[in-house]
Amino acid sequence: MSEKKKETAVGRRVFFKKAGLGASVIGAAAVGSAAKKSTAAEPSKGASSGAGYRETAHVRKYYDLARF
Amino acid sequence: MSGVGSEYHNIAEEDALRAQWYGLLAGLLAAPPTPEMLKKIGAIEGDETALGQAVNRLAAAARGTTADALEDEFQILFIGVGGGVLTPYGSYYLSGFTYEKPLAKLRIDMLRLGITRADDVYEPEDHIASLCEILSGLITGKYGGSADLAKQRAFFDVHVSPWAGLFFKDLEAASGADFYRPVGSVGRLFMELEGQAFTMAA
Repeated sequence: MSEKKKETAVGRRVFFKKAGLGASVIGAAAVGSAAKKSTAAEPSKGASSGAGYRETAHVRKYYDLARF
Repeated sequence: MSGVGSEYHNIAEEDALRAQWYGLLAGLLAAPPTPEMLKKIGAIEGDETALGQAVNRLAAAARGTTADALEDEFQILFIGVGGGVLTPYGSYYLSGFTYEKPLAKLRIDMLRLGITRADDVYEPEDHIASLCEILSGLITGKYGGSADLAKQRAFFDVHVSPWAGLFFKDLEAASGADFYRPVGSVGRLFMELEGQAFTMAA
């Protein structure tokens, strides 16, 4: 990452932390709701490199972290 | 970087959180909550920030109502007979009518991003819930390819920022809004934060 990008990332992290984004147990409600019936948007088939959405170990960790 | 995970960028903690908040808003605005979802909302705990307090009010409202009651409230606010109290579509806020140029522009951008409307959804794509869901997916990289901040910001600036704050303000003040009043507050505050944070990356 360039220095500028790093600065921005740190700035955003601090900003969101102070704004209260992390302090709530949002994960459980959000993950549950996202999985619900109203999936308005889906990846178009064949539009990207074809990788689509996969559960790599890294994504799994994200969901695990979201489950408070 | 190459290899199996190369489409995935490490999701920074704050971005994972942003995706969750967008996911929460999408879930709240797409349909009235199921009893299960209502229970989860009731368990949310916010901190002393404005956003935290708003989400606390939302959680308290969730604990004080039922899924049945919310079906009615949702119906009155968003559906109605011949239209709900509110019309949560970008085209409506930006042009006065649904199915207008903002929707056409959105569809072009969705095409470019490799996103389509799901088969079982019949509302136009510029519904606030749909836009929140798209942003959540752009953050997590759900639609394949890069989910970088520039792309997110471009989408936000064109399709969300011009009207979402107004909609959430309307929701806060809508007659018939009870549980959905703090939904409006959460949405308004979160959108303000997103807008401010994006300008930091300028």
